[in-house]
Amino acid sequence: MKYQGQDDLSNDSQLGSAEATLRLIASLPAPAGLEERVQAGLRAAPRSGRVLAWPAALSLDSNWMRAAAAAAIVFVVAGGGWGVYAHVQPGQSARGVAVPPHVAAPAGGFSNSGAMRTPNTLNGPLAPHPATARPPAKASVKGTARTTQTPLRPGKSGVANKAVPPPVAPAAK
Amino acid sequence: MSASQAVFSGWMEIPNSAMSDQARQCAAEEELAALVGQYAGTLYRVAFSVLRNPSDAEDAVQEAFLRVLRHRDSLGEVRDQRVWLIRIVWNIVLDRKRRSKTRPETDDVTELARVLPAQGLSAEQIASAAQHHAHVLACVDRLPAKERQVLMLSAFEELSSVEIASVLGITESSVRSRLFRARNLMAGLLNHARSLR
Repeated sequence: MKYQGQDDLSNDSQLGSAEATLRLIASLPAPAGLEERVQAGLRAAPRSGRVLAWPAALSLDSNWMRAAAAAAIVFVVAGGGWGVYAHVQPGQSARGVAVPPHVAAPAGGFSNSGAMRTPNTLNGPLAPHPATARPPAKASVKGTARTTQTPLRPGKSGVANKAVPPPVAPAAK
Repeated sequence: MSASQAVFSGWMEIPNSAMSDQARQCAAEEELAALVGQYAGTLYRVAFSVLRNPSDAEDAVQEAFLRVLRHRDSLGEVRDQRVWLIRIVWNIVLDRKRRSKTRPETDDVTELARVLPAQGLSAEQIASAAQHHAHVLACVDRLPAKERQVLMLSAFEELSSVEIASVLGITESSVRSRLFRARNLMAGLLNHARSLR
């Protein structure tokens, strides 16, 4: 039979052994020569940047050298400014409308020979004038019955206006 | 000295920084060398407790000091250099651990059997101890990340709870509560593992 206290003791001992493991690992000695290797690695590492030293022969100790350097700087700045001013004239603007150059037809292709294309929508379909419509045909034979042909009405199809054949005349005695 | 000379000398005045820069650089390098001598072992142990591989731990230490070399100008602003260095190497090893694949437990057993002190122990005892330690480490790996980190850092006797809080960037009370949770979880894991056997 197990008691609560027994479990606690067992837990504590297990936990203690686990912490002993962690402590053992945390106290492992560093390998021999670690510091020397790290130092060597640091010496071999590339340095981020260096300040270039001014040549000793051109040291700015003498005053005339300082004056010459200042004059050279002023000359360069003024010359650069004058150069910019001389090259860029104010008020220069475009004098004409730019026309795109004529592009020749590619070799082997067809050119339009200078013809201008007109859109088809300008000359649309025209409706026939009512006055120019053809009058209805007269009866060719006198005495025959009038045909029931009706004049053409706009908007009707030709099938509706089909002529009815005349009745057969009685034979003469 | 005429007025123009005074003006020119004022314009062209070059501060005596080249010499001071060089001297400062030399001082920083000396300080860095002293830091390597003083803390390389501590950083190695911190790195090894996470990576569990001697060469990886040494690489992490090297990388930490290279980072210090890059920021050597700000060495004077660091208050506690030991905690600062541990924090650097801790971030490096966590990053490496995250990137690397999970190591199998058998690797841990082999590595521990090779690394652990074995004076006066038979080969069988060494193997048994290594297996036990590897089992404990496997249980530690199963803990949540926050609790695991606190538990691992608490094993370092030279680190107080305040310093652990500084390394992890949390408060001291958080360290204590996480440590309490970690111990409880660890006990549960060890019990569970024992009941399975």
